[in-house]
Amino acid sequence: MTSLRITKHPILKLNSKKQILHFTFDNQKFTGVEGDTIASALLANGILTLRRHEESGSPRGVYCNIGHCFECRVIVDGMEGVRACLTPLREGMDVQSGQKLPKPFKTGITEQEFRDYFRAGESQ
Amino acid sequence: MERKELIICRCEEVSLTDISSTIEKYQCSSREVKLRTRAGMGYCGGRVCRSLVDKAIAEMKGDQPSDEIPLTYRPPVRPISFRTLGGN
Repeated sequence: MTSLRITKHPILKLNSKKQILHFTFDNQKFTGVEGDTIASALLANGILTLRRHEESGSPRGVYCNIGHCFECRVIVDGMEGVRACLTPLREGMDVQSGQKLPKPFKTGITEQEFRDYFRAGESQ
Repeated sequence: MERKELIICRCEEVSLTDISSTIEKYQCSSREVKLRTRAGMGYCGGRVCRSLVDKAIAEMKGDQPSDEIPLTYRPPVRPISFRTLGGN
């Protein structure tokens, strides 16, 4: 996909000689430039979904972009809860998106499973 | 937008419908709504939705936001890692 980065601007003077930084997002290779945040680098690469909601799995991305809402949190070099909108991009960064988590305690067990469990206990 | 789709608390994915049905069912304070729906108990610490929950309750019950027991601010004001406090 072509880059969404703004390279020409009618008013702002944009420095086109910024250093290129390489990083991975979910093990896929991407590049950003010096001065990018993780969020801006991914946005320039056309990536809007930064993580999935832990319970429902619905897609989430940048919401406030000022470090307030924690919607853009990603896993950076194994550290969880890092805000993509505030964290400057570094060379060789390993960024992973948050994924849907299992919820074994949400549904619970059925009455039959409960009975079976205790019946199994009685016979021992 | 559909009320059902209108998310109030993004961290815990609580919609306006969830909040309004809880208020209708239990006639409760904003703190009780928080405890029943988990709105405002997510990762961001209620920074995004606290005032929205208060406002929704004020509108539906017709009284002032944060009536008997208000939604409080508690430390840490921002989630921070132990790493930030020192150590690795």
